[in-house]
Amino acid sequence: MTDVSRWPFSTVLVANRGEIAVRVLRTVQKLGLKGAVVFHAADRNAPAVRMADHAIEITGSTPVAAYLDGAQILAAAKSCGAGAIHPGYGFLSENTGFARAVESAGLVFIGPKPEQIELMGDKVRARNFVEKGGFPVAPSAIEDDGPATFVERSRTVGTPLLIKPSAGGGGKGMRIVRDLSVLEAEIERARSEGQRYFGDGRLYCERYIENPRHIEVQVLGDSHGNVVHVFERECSVQRRFQKIVEETPSPALTPELRAQICETAAGIARSAGYRGAGTVEFIFGPSGEFYFLEMNTRLQVEHPVTEEITGKDLVLEQLRIAAGEPLGYAQGDVSAQGHAIEFRIYAEDPGRGYTPTTGPILALRPPQGDGIRWDSGVVQGGEVTAAFDPMIAKLIVRGTNRNDAIARAEKALAETVLLGCKTNTAFLRRLVVHPAFVAGDVHTGFLDANPQIAADPPMPNGTLQALLAAASLSTRPMRDAADCVPDLHAAIGEWRN
Amino acid sequence: MKRIESKLNTASAEFQANAAHNRRLAEEFRERQRKARDDRPQRDIDRLRSQKKLLVRERIALLLDPGTPFLEFSSLAANDAYDGEVPGAACVTGIGIVSGRECVINAGDASVKGGAWYPLTVKKTVRALDIAIENRLPVVHLCDSAGGFLPLQADLFADKYMAGRIFRNQCILSKMGVQQVSVVLGHCTAGGAYVPGLSDYNVIVRGTGAIFLAGPPLVKAATGEENTVDELGGCDMHTTTSGTADYPASSEEEAIAIARDIVAQFKRPQKTHTEWQTPEDPYYDGADLYGILPRDIKQQFDMKEVIARLVDGSRFHEYQPAYGTTLICGYAHIWGYKIGILGNNGVLFNDSSLKGAHFIELCNQNRTPILFLQNITGFMVGREYERRGITKDGAKMIMAVSCSEVPKFTVMCHGSFGAGNYGMSGRAFDSRMLFSWPQSQTSVMGAEQAANVLADVKIRQLAKSGRTLSQADIDAIRDPVLGEFKRKQSAYYTTSEIWDDGMLDPVDTRNALGISISAALNTPIGDPRYGVFRL
Amino acid sequence: MQHAFKLGEAEHNVALSRAREAYCLHVGDSLVPIDLKTSPDGRTWLTVGTRHVEVVIATRGDEVFVHLDGEAHALRYRHPLERLAAQAGGGANDLIRAPMPGSIVSVNVKAGDTVSKGQTLLVMESMKMETTLVAPRDGAVAEVQYEKGQTFERDAILLKLEAAAGEGA
Repeated sequence: MTDVSRWPFSTVLVANRGEIAVRVLRTVQKLGLKGAVVFHAADRNAPAVRMADHAIEITGSTPVAAYLDGAQILAAAKSCGAGAIHPGYGFLSENTGFARAVESAGLVFIGPKPEQIELMGDKVRARNFVEKGGFPVAPSAIEDDGPATFVERSRTVGTPLLIKPSAGGGGKGMRIVRDLSVLEAEIERARSEGQRYFGDGRLYCERYIENPRHIEVQVLGDSHGNVVHVFERECSVQRRFQKIVEETPSPALTPELRAQICETAAGIARSAGYRGAGTVEFIFGPSGEFYFLEMNTRLQVEHPVTEEITGKDLVLEQLRIAAGEPLGYAQGDVSAQGHAIEFRIYAEDPGRGYTPTTGPILALRPPQGDGIRWDSGVVQGGEVTAAFDPMIAKLIVRGTNRNDAIARAEKALAETVLLGCKTNTAFLRRLVVHPAFVAGDVHTGFLDANPQIAADPPMPNGTLQALLAAASLSTRPMRDAADCVPDLHAAIGEWRN
Repeated sequence: MKRIESKLNTASAEFQANAAHNRRLAEEFRERQRKARDDRPQRDIDRLRSQKKLLVRERIALLLDPGTPFLEFSSLAANDAYDGEVPGAACVTGIGIVSGRECVINAGDASVKGGAWYPLTVKKTVRALDIAIENRLPVVHLCDSAGGFLPLQADLFADKYMAGRIFRNQCILSKMGVQQVSVVLGHCTAGGAYVPGLSDYNVIVRGTGAIFLAGPPLVKAATGEENTVDELGGCDMHTTTSGTADYPASSEEEAIAIARDIVAQFKRPQKTHTEWQTPEDPYYDGADLYGILPRDIKQQFDMKEVIARLVDGSRFHEYQPAYGTTLICGYAHIWGYKIGILGNNGVLFNDSSLKGAHFIELCNQNRTPILFLQNITGFMVGREYERRGITKDGAKMIMAVSCSEVPKFTVMCHGSFGAGNYGMSGRAFDSRMLFSWPQSQTSVMGAEQAANVLADVKIRQLAKSGRTLSQADIDAIRDPVLGEFKRKQSAYYTTSEIWDDGMLDPVDTRNALGISISAALNTPIGDPRYGVFRL
Repeated sequence: MQHAFKLGEAEHNVALSRAREAYCLHVGDSLVPIDLKTSPDGRTWLTVGTRHVEVVIATRGDEVFVHLDGEAHALRYRHPLERLAAQAGGGANDLIRAPMPGSIVSVNVKAGDTVSKGQTLLVMESMKMETTLVAPRDGAVAEVQYEKGQTFERDAILLKLEAAAGEGA
């Protein structure tokens, strides 16, 4: 058991919500530390709020705005005596200003040094840094001060190419160009989107790999200069550049390639003197070539799959590192067993273009059993609204090998009961048994190329009848109408003389 | 109660011959019924469709609860009247379940002469409302009628039990606290306007429904005023301005759904308590009835065998098994309800008449409803029986039947002749329901006998004037009388004239009785009281 | 069979009746014996014909959510009276009549305007009391019969809406 008695903080404030707030608090409290959380009124009944030792209400013009209000969050931390702030993912987790403010206030920011956030947050700077370090990057063009020359330099990158906002992330504002004739128009559009989403219209573009795979590597670095990698994750199953399924190990990698990619990631982190937990993302081509994509200087949504195969608690490692402890283990001590897959449960309708859905959570029965992990921020009785991101839970499945994990996943998805708000569980169930997925034959365009997986399959007649039966017997006017028929006439039934 | 032991040999030639005969009669009955219910000239159907109207049975199907029985009355009313052009007397009546409540349904059949009221239509409607009154059953009227059939107005307008009685019955139902809903699906003109007018609730369909004491042509003729149907008595005027109609509906389907919702608001009646146990199907096969009933009306059969096919578990508690054996009396259950049964096994003698009267008294004391299974040629005649007081004994039985407070049900199984009809609770004796089997015959005496009597009179008359007659002459006098008698004693004639509440395929009798008994228990059973029994 | 459930885009007519054993579902031309029972361990079991299958059911208002064979489904109940009224559209809802004699204070719409249910059409005055007349349904104004200041009798047609094309489902 970790000895936290000499740590510089005894209370950790989680500046986040939903499943990640629960996840972080779980480790915090398991260590014997106090856990605090901020919450907007919309999250008043959230599980994290009930779990926490301190819960401080924050306000904002919108719920999201509250969680982006660094000043309020800092004040909340101070008010409850929190010595450290864990930012989770999203929101302020990669906000250099916030990290700096936390440290200036004398609190511990559970994450990397602010300058590391700043470096990796700027996609252009990050790319240059990595390239200078001798690590592989995709052919690209960076926009210096010359929008005009940018178009020309982009042309030299060759098609297909991808235009990205420098300040962007999370897949927003990216455009693929296959035909140079539309290059200039697409650049203009990407610029205005970048301005709109991130307040920054600067762009860069790079060579686009057709049917790429998205492979990322988890790294950990302490404040004593030690950096290790904790293996890779494959996150190729995406829609609109957002991940849906992540797994480890990647079925696309040979042991040699695995070692190569993971060492490259560790090397990048080392060269930045990286402190904390981070993820280096690569784009992986069909012939085994890979290029640096970006580095996320925070804990990722999909961290649980790494935890499942290594036995490591990554939040615990974050806290230890933030407390100043050395890692205490070398690369050779890090080992993995088995296979793990994570499924993001979204409140959305895959059959209708993945439009977000809302509704009350009238019944929730997560799957249970060996090798099943359910990380969620919603409970039965709660409500899914349009106020927040539609991801409501993660199902993580572990198996002795990939097929075992797939079998477990299919069963667990079938057993997952979530009623009142439409989710993508049925879609995930179809996906996980799709022959291409089972063969490990996926890439980031896989779902777009196979729209039939998302589409609602035709309903078997037996199912329709069963649904109508269940619904009829659960609907008062129908039930009452049937029940009030006297016994005699019910027994005689539909008879005519 | 022990099970009746059947003594039938279902393999015997006699049984098989009877069965073939009676099955054929049943099939004929079903076919005639089907025709009367469904066969209509295509142009009449087309006309209704073009008026956006549903057929009466489509309306009833929407009205009744799914998966429930409908006991239709007098489906073959008027089958031997008006040249057979008014099947079912242009209306459909019966007992059905609406929103869980037992209701009398009174529906005009606009596919027959526009739903016009013939004299037998009026009689059938009055009878349906009498059933509602006697059994305290709420009524749903599905109104769609062209009005009274003028050429026969003398037979449907003025007398006590003619058209006025419909409206009088509606008022009495209301006075009794028994609810009525009318659904106006066509024109309710003149007298017909009073059906919705006298109903506690009514629904009217926009466009096709109308209520007025006189339609636009009559109004124009009377006062010169011009109106459209809607202006004069349509849905919107009556539901917003005059308040004559309660609920507007945009379609027949909506109107009927509203009517169902209205009935769902009715307080359910408190059922009279009567002995009841969990129902049990008869031990013997109901289809055996076809083989039990003889082909010849004069031939006897054992009524116990009939009882065994009607009652729960075929179990029967016989009263006075050794005395008055030409009348079977005893207790049984039908669909769980305890009932007393009187069934004929021959002519009524002194002892059987006394037994019958006594048993009826026992049933009244016990508050047990009574079922009469008729197969009776009459009371025994002759000097010995008169000296023993057969007239008095028959009178006692008739007194007991007439004064009986418990509900009575009668089934004409075979023959029903002479005063035996009375003693066994014939039509005049207020049975809540009375049904006829296809082969049954009802008349003052058998056809052969009557024909002989009448021919005899004629022959003697002619003999007085000196004429002697050959056999052919005698036949020429006798045969038309015989034919006329046979026609008017048949079940089809009985049902045409609405002397019964409908013909039944014998195998349907058990369900019909179960439904009838249940309906009858909405009325309290009074204490027994009788007139003077001539002892 | 005027009850219905909406499942996705389709509406399915159903009826439910009691049977000797449990219940019967009337759907299409079929009659299917059905039942819903809770076992002592709290699980819910649906019987459809000869099939017994575990289900989880949750309801809210007219919505019924069912977890069956590993998938969640959502149905919406449509009450017969609601369905049949919606099917009709038009009729009395086309004419806006004066509830009492009076005069027009203001007319808020004109012919051709699209209006939504509850939207103010005109304001009238009678016996020193102002009454607002609103649209009984979504639709379009066909004609306005009166102007500000004009007087009328009770039941006068003040405004006409375009006949509604009957609602699909």
